[in-house]
Amino acid sequence: MKLEIENVSKTYRGNVEALRKFSLELGPGVLGLLGPNGAGKSTLMRILATITQPTGGWVLWNGTNIRYAPDKLRNVLGYLPQDFGIYPNLSAVEFLEYLAAVKGLEAASAHKRIGELLELVNLADAARRPLGGFSGGMRQRVGIAQALLNDPEVLIVDEPTAGLDPEERVRFRNLLSELAGERIVILSTHIVSDVEAVATDIALIAQGQLVVHGAPEALLAAVSGKVWEVVVPSHELPALRRDHLVSSTAHRNDGVHARVVADAAPRPEARALEPTLEDAYLATLAARRQRAAAEAVV
Amino acid sequence: MKARRVVYAIARADFLERVRRYSYLITLLFAVYLGYAAGTGRISLRLGDYRGLYTSAWIGAMVSMVATTFLSLVGFYIVKNAVDRDRQTRVGEILAATPLTKVPYLVGKFLSNFAVLVSMVGVLALAAVAMQFLAAEDRTFHAWALLSPFLFLTLPAMAMTAAMALLFETFRFLRGSFGNVLWFFLWSFGISLPVVTGLPQLDPSGLWTVYQSMAPAARAGIPGYVDKFSLTNADKAVRVATGFHWSGVEWTAEIVILRLAWMAVAFALVLCGAWFFDRFDPARSRRKPVARPRSEGAATAAGTAPEFPTARLPITTSSHITPLASGARHSGAWRLLIAELRLALKGYRWWWYAVAGGLLIAQLAAPLDVARGPLLAAAWIWPILVWSALGTREARFGTEQLIFSCARILPRQFPAAWMAGIIVAVLTGLGAAVRLALAGQHAGLLAWAAGALFIPSLALALGVWSGTSKFFEGLYTAMWYIGPMNRVPGLDFTGSASGPQASRHALLYLGGAAILVAAAFLRRARQLHGTY
Repeated sequence: MKLEIENVSKTYRGNVEALRKFSLELGPGVLGLLGPNGAGKSTLMRILATITQPTGGWVLWNGTNIRYAPDKLRNVLGYLPQDFGIYPNLSAVEFLEYLAAVKGLEAASAHKRIGELLELVNLADAARRPLGGFSGGMRQRVGIAQALLNDPEVLIVDEPTAGLDPEERVRFRNLLSELAGERIVILSTHIVSDVEAVATDIALIAQGQLVVHGAPEALLAAVSGKVWEVVVPSHELPALRRDHLVSSTAHRNDGVHARVVADAAPRPEARALEPTLEDAYLATLAARRQRAAAEAVV
Repeated sequence: MKARRVVYAIARADFLERVRRYSYLITLLFAVYLGYAAGTGRISLRLGDYRGLYTSAWIGAMVSMVATTFLSLVGFYIVKNAVDRDRQTRVGEILAATPLTKVPYLVGKFLSNFAVLVSMVGVLALAAVAMQFLAAEDRTFHAWALLSPFLFLTLPAMAMTAAMALLFETFRFLRGSFGNVLWFFLWSFGISLPVVTGLPQLDPSGLWTVYQSMAPAARAGIPGYVDKFSLTNADKAVRVATGFHWSGVEWTAEIVILRLAWMAVAFALVLCGAWFFDRFDPARSRRKPVARPRSEGAATAAGTAPEFPTARLPITTSSHITPLASGARHSGAWRLLIAELRLALKGYRWWWYAVAGGLLIAQLAAPLDVARGPLLAAAWIWPILVWSALGTREARFGTEQLIFSCARILPRQFPAAWMAGIIVAVLTGLGAAVRLALAGQHAGLLAWAAGALFIPSLALALGVWSGTSKFFEGLYTAMWYIGPMNRVPGLDFTGSASGPQASRHALLYLGGAAILVAAAFLRRARQLHGTY
């Protein structure tokens, strides 16, 4: 089971480059695709989901170019787009039955699986009610259920936890972890904590290019010994932000506790901390921006 | 001053958003086609079997009548999306959270609607000027005689069209497909209003005004003239009335005031719309809007989409999903066909089925001519909204990405959706088919079958290509009214008006259906290849 992305580019009308020679090779496990807004994550997701054609490069599913044989991948694909609609007059069961038929699933198996999936996404009680009355979070859960309908070998989920409450979000993360075994799961998000919880592999994308790809441990190792906690008065915070990369702040009785990513301790009294993936993510992006700025000056 | 700036800003933004879309070019091309059709005599103004010499006055009156008549019908469908666009793009919710009130918002949208229609009228006015020089029947160019009908006749009619489109958008039940169908009948009624009411003042289109001006000159200059006046297609030869001398409508104060009054009526309709406009508040709609998940959150927060109580399961649940057996991935096509049919018919109330059933029984019970004539016509207009969803449902409800990422959409889902449309046509018109079969009218049966295939094919093609149901709803209603209802042979796709030509017409409709389905197939194939 192998999904290869080779030099994939996508240029939209008006010469807008969403992806530039993006390459990645994926096997079973959860890939967390991280990147800021507009980095090209959703474009890459749509290309992998056979919705959009790349303008350059190719995607191979078990050696088959999906440009010429998209159904090879579609047969085993589960896809939860970032934005999707529903048919408001259908109930959750009817909607899933319709999509099961579109996906070519045999009736009895589909019926059983729909019941199980609705239990799984906690919608069994609302299964017979029209989708038009569902809240955003409930619709998102229907979306998750439809992505799993055909027992996919490749599961692509684009910003799946948006609209979910914290409890549902944790349930979904756990579900992804459990599903990951013998599947390729691609989780695209800008919520680092979602990736931190489930990803076995991380790819960081910015301005349409792959910045870094590796295990979470490798990303964390890159900022090991470079994360500090500094306590400063509120009025000194702007100066601290100007001089250093501050990944988070919290107001306490003794001042503002700032989490700083820096090669050396920003203040003599700074306390070293264990790095998180968010620290690594921000540090990597900041380093990239600095490099780009330096290249622009040259 | 501030209100004027707000109105201008809304009108400008809406107009720019529209004219920068590819579809605007198509609307201008439609205007060019109308100009071409008028210039080449495919559509002409007639006084019985005659037409006037192509003077500035005649051409101005004729082309402005073409613009008034056709643009008030088609233009309605073109501009009836000003508020809907803000609803779909969520810009409406942003605007609703500002101090902007309903009247300036709707006036701005009205001006944008009007500007789009005026730009099309402008194309036709230019075509009229070119027509006089190309026809060269009268080389004396009178700018006022040629252009004043556009000013006094067409522009008020366009204002009415722009206002009606906006008014329809402010009523929830007129916003969608029902409103699109209803407009055709309202438009027909509006054209014939002076004749129906006997009040020449009730003439929003201005056709009656032109007729009243021309008729005396026609009586004086055309031998045997009997008050015939029509704007029609070139289906029979026309002669130039050399003795007919008409220098154009004399724009008396009374006529000008009457025409300007329609502008005032249009403005009053916009203000009336403001009264009913929900200002993007979903709570004011009886049903909740169809929206995508991300934005639903806002609606939920506002308390408009109550979350059903669902039992909480432990966070650390285990995913007990039975793996699919390999054979479970290949179901028969019939299952998808049933799913498509169920989707097509879902959401209709009991009385919809009762009317369809009643029409079916009536076809079986009534005399054959009635069964295959008015009853079949009624049976085949009733499911118009079922057919108009063909090919557009995915775009309308935002399910394209879910559907198009599934395997074998073209060989399975596409024909299943088309077949579902055919089944609806067959079931609703079955009574007439049975009667034709029992009477041994094979040509009639063939015509019936051609109609049953043609309707969903037309719906599918227009839906897939346009991405909206409006075009089918407008075009099909017009075809239905002209063909089956007014029994115009050739345009009657049920075949009841075709007489001995039934088989020939049936074959033409079958050929048309094949071309339409092929066109829809090609477009859907392109969409699936991600080139849309």
